[in-house]
Amino acid sequence: MEPVTREELKPARSGGILSERYRLFLYALPFLVLVFLFSYLPLYGWIYSLYNYRPGFKLSDTPFVGLQWFRSIFANPTQTAEVGRVMKNTIAMSSLGILTSVLPVAFAILLSEIKAMRFKKTVQILTTLPNFISWVLVYAIAFALFNVDNGLINKIMIGLGLQERGINYLATDNHTWLSMILWNTWKGLGWGAIMYIAAITSIDQELYDAAKVDGAGRFRMIWNITIPGIMPTYFVLLMLQIANFINNGMEQYFVFQNPINKDHIEVLDLYVYNAGMLGTNFSFATAVSMLKSLISIGLLLFANKLSKWVRGESII
Amino acid sequence: MNKKIRKAGLASTAALLALSLAACSSNNNGGDASPSASTGASAGASQEASASPARDEYTIDVFSMLSNFSGEQQGWFAKVVKDKFNLKLNIISSNLEGGGDVKFNAMMSSGDLGDLVVFGDDGQKYQDAIKAGMLLDWTQNGLLDTHGKNIMQYAPKAIEKNKVNFGGGSKVYGIGFDVGEDKDGPSEGKDLTYHPNLRFDLYQQIGSPAIKTMEDYLPVLKKMQELEPKSDSGRPTYAFSMWKDWDGNMMMNTKAWAGLHGFDETDGFSNGGFTLISADKDEIQGVLDEDGYYMRGLKLYFDANQMGLVDPDSLTQTFDDVVNKMTDGQLLFTWFPWMNTYNTPERLAEGKGFALVPFEEERTFSYGFNPYGGNRVWAIGAKAKNPERIMEFLDWMYSPEGVIVSNYGPEGLAWKKGADGKLELTDLGNEAFPSNQTPIPEEFGGGTWKDGQNQINNTTLKMTATNPETGDPYQYDLWTSYLAKAPNKLEENWRAAMGGATTAREYLEKNGKLAVNKQIFTGTAPELISDDLSQKQSQVAQVIKQYSWKMVFAKDEAEFDKLKNEMIEKSKGLGYDDVLNWNKEQNEKTFGYRKQ
Repeated sequence: MEPVTREELKPARSGGILSERYRLFLYALPFLVLVFLFSYLPLYGWIYSLYNYRPGFKLSDTPFVGLQWFRSIFANPTQTAEVGRVMKNTIAMSSLGILTSVLPVAFAILLSEIKAMRFKKTVQILTTLPNFISWVLVYAIAFALFNVDNGLINKIMIGLGLQERGINYLATDNHTWLSMILWNTWKGLGWGAIMYIAAITSIDQELYDAAKVDGAGRFRMIWNITIPGIMPTYFVLLMLQIANFINNGMEQYFVFQNPINKDHIEVLDLYVYNAGMLGTNFSFATAVSMLKSLISIGLLLFANKLSKWVRGESII
Repeated sequence: MNKKIRKAGLASTAALLALSLAACSSNNNGGDASPSASTGASAGASQEASASPARDEYTIDVFSMLSNFSGEQQGWFAKVVKDKFNLKLNIISSNLEGGGDVKFNAMMSSGDLGDLVVFGDDGQKYQDAIKAGMLLDWTQNGLLDTHGKNIMQYAPKAIEKNKVNFGGGSKVYGIGFDVGEDKDGPSEGKDLTYHPNLRFDLYQQIGSPAIKTMEDYLPVLKKMQELEPKSDSGRPTYAFSMWKDWDGNMMMNTKAWAGLHGFDETDGFSNGGFTLISADKDEIQGVLDEDGYYMRGLKLYFDANQMGLVDPDSLTQTFDDVVNKMTDGQLLFTWFPWMNTYNTPERLAEGKGFALVPFEEERTFSYGFNPYGGNRVWAIGAKAKNPERIMEFLDWMYSPEGVIVSNYGPEGLAWKKGADGKLELTDLGNEAFPSNQTPIPEEFGGGTWKDGQNQINNTTLKMTATNPETGDPYQYDLWTSYLAKAPNKLEENWRAAMGGATTAREYLEKNGKLAVNKQIFTGTAPELISDDLSQKQSQVAQVIKQYSWKMVFAKDEAEFDKLKNEMIEKSKGLGYDDVLNWNKEQNEKTFGYRKQ
């Protein structure tokens, strides 16, 4: 059989100018270009950390300062403590994010157990919708609920006689991490569950039927069929989330930040924004943002070690 | 209502656009026709509109680092500018768009600062913009000479200062605000920029207790709050309702207490940092000095918050929210007389309203007259498409007519000329001033008086300087006709209580409670901070601002002290002392200039 196939392929190969290898390369090229444009080209921006850059001037017109900004991060104990505080927040929020990643799984399972289709769909739509609201609007909702003079919560609390006068609930540093993760969960729960709902529907129905025949109850079926059925999906998503550990974004923290909660809400991305855009120090902010890459490399090496230890083979 | 106005606006815009297009095709003149004679009173708005504008409608981007409004200028001022110059003003406000220097940095990076630019000071940003070539040189192509006749006539020294200080002796990149006459003494009108204002009616009802130090206001305000716990709309009243969008190197509302003691962040020449400088003595305080006015101010707010006198919304609201609260009657105190929007004619007639209640130790910071112009700068962007039209517009605002019209509207709306040629308010003016929500007739642009006011928020000529066309100052409440009016009930009560003084300024001046900052001309630009110090300054400023607010809202005295120590420790760790010493050096230099 094989020789025949080769014979058949030959004319096609000789018809093209490029060998198959190059053809495959060309297929991949657009994606390589995209990767280059969006993953490698931005690295050029690191050069700003070596200058005293000020917006409006050409980089070549601004003084070259070498590693001064990097040194300034570590030369000064207060500065180092600041960066340490920011890293702590970043790691805390990301870890909480990973811990709460089981919530969409639980939600999806609960949802799939609902028999009333109408109710199920309604719940699903209502919980998915917040994902499409921008953080700015989420803050607007939070403000409407919690502000002092007109806020719903304050009105209710005062109306019920539970508190004497308005309290500014948004301006508190108690449980900042927790409240941020709650907002995050509220916004992302329904959306996060979609993937798992799909995974659940793809589980073979016969397994459930067989389990029923064997006398399994609802919880047994969830425990022994549904959960093992969606575990692969969960782990893939979890891995992606760990890879994104350091990128917890800044929109949410940006809109919710105020002087009171700033100590605990300032994650790395937000700190870089505050230092660069608000404080007009692009070069210093660039230097700090490069910490992110350091930590990412650290995470990668850690995952690699873990993989070697667990599976006996490395990923890089 | 709003929609209707917008619709009407659109319709008239469309009509004018059609007119201007027609005009353009017939005589095809780009921008060389000058607007109607720049001096002399402007004709009624409707009349000008019918004399179809010969030039294309043109929207200019006004990037104002002082504005508290973002978007297209609305209402009567939009109509004035449209009729006279066929311009529309798209106002970009850095206060509202990102806060801090975010918008400025973004615009600098894009290489375009807009058409008309207003700088909050003549420091780093202004000088960077000049160096980076973002601003237009007004001497180019004789722009200033041909289109800036009023500026040359009414503010020649301000141009001279800019030439010498910032233009290397030959170029002109901008002009300062508040250009006044060359004379001594305070430049303010009836009120100062700062002085403590209380709800005077309530203050009298609780028996006008004596106030010696700034801290003595607290028990007084508490009693006033107990007397009037609810505003007109039933919301709780507060003594201090603050906002953070104006914070720069420190918390602005706290700095205000330094202003009431004759200290300010600027010495009149160098730009601000971490020092507070006396207006007229060689005294300097560091912001974090334990016994300084800034720290005293923080303690005062902390105590006030413990007493329930601070608006809990302070952290999350903007200046506009505070003004609305003021109008509604939720406030009992303000540092700024120009914020007295509570004082409507109806309330004043009832004897209700805000007025100066001084404290014994008060020495209010007063800005002297300055023929060289202050440090808030008007400039034109280098990429402006029609610089001559922008120059004409700016030049008009530096003319007596422009000052009156851009502040008080076209003739016949809020003011009219009396038989003696002096100006007087119309009924509408009486009702609308200083900034009330009074409806404006459609032919003048519709909307309300307040919403239609010039939103750029920078002045040109000093409002208290004499208007050569009338012999009165520009400011309406100093017009002969206005002073001749019978005082309202609040004024009557206040004057009786203040031993016959007719205005706040008169009282403060007579009682030696003013610290007048004499303006100086140095012939050099203020020195710029080094990049290293600038980085330190921006980081320390963030710490000071953040902790200041936290301290005000601290739970108890122990937490307040803890935060205070943390603030000082962190600030010093980040280089506070280096910046402070540099600031002090600059201030000492200014003291030298003052003596020259």
